[in-house]
Amino acid sequence: MSVQNEDDTQLSSHFYGGLLDSIIVDVASECHRTAKLGLDHNLEEEEEEMRLSAQARARVADPSNSGETNNKYVVDIFGQTHPSVASEIFECMNCGRSISAGRFAPHLEKCMGKGRKARLKVTRSTTSAQNHYSRGSPVSTHSSFSNSTSTNRLSNGTPGVAGEEYSNGTYEGP
Amino acid sequence: MKHSVNRPPTPDAAEDQGKEPTLQEIINIKLIESGEKERLMELLRERLIDCGWKDEMKAICRAYIKKKGRNNVTVDDLVHLITPKGRASVPDNVKADLLQRIRTFLMSAAL
Repeated sequence: MSVQNEDDTQLSSHFYGGLLDSIIVDVASECHRTAKLGLDHNLEEEEEEMRLSAQARARVADPSNSGETNNKYVVDIFGQTHPSVASEIFECMNCGRSISAGRFAPHLEKCMGKGRKARLKVTRSTTSAQNHYSRGSPVSTHSSFSNSTSTNRLSNGTPGVAGEEYSNGTYEGP
Repeated sequence: MKHSVNRPPTPDAAEDQGKEPTLQEIINIKLIESGEKERLMELLRERLIDCGWKDEMKAICRAYIKKKGRNNVTVDDLVHLITPKGRASVPDNVKADLLQRIRTFLMSAAL
């Protein structure tokens, strides 16, 4: 029995060694592959790249270009600066006024439907408003009404008929 | 022509040597066929990762590669590099657990 035990021990050590060797080969092969493919960022050649990126970072952190939150003029990666408020001017498609781009969103809010004044404005001049944004497509008052049920979803819950007209107008826009 | 008739038959390698599969080979086949070998290997792999052994070996490899330059290193180099250290630095409990499992398998399979 004791002999068998010794044999068992030796045999199991043999198999254990086999398993371990396989695992060692796997680890070596994996390391070799990582190094050869340049996926390991710790090797010496990568140190050169690290130095260059550190240099770039130093340039960015330079006091002449201060941090994004402080300065109004931020430098982007192409070296361009943008003023924080957009200044282009164009025409609002709803009311036809000239609006600055930076003020366009709040303008739309008032102009299109959120405000009390916007809704009042709509109910008043249905025909003229409709003619303004139908853009040449022959939309009669009747057809706009019939379309209203399908375009109901577009309007922001404005209950009135005029609200649906609005959505119809914008819907038909290009 | 006559020579070819009298020529002795081509010896079958295994039969000629009178070689029977050793106990080791039999058990190896049983280990593989039952799937136990793969289970044991995965278990050992997992244990070695958990205890940081794999990271140690990888660090040794990386240091060697850094020294020699990554285009001058072969897998063989690395294997010879980490085998002695690798065998020696397996934690005792991991080794003992694996040996126990193998012994259990031997007792159940070799009988």
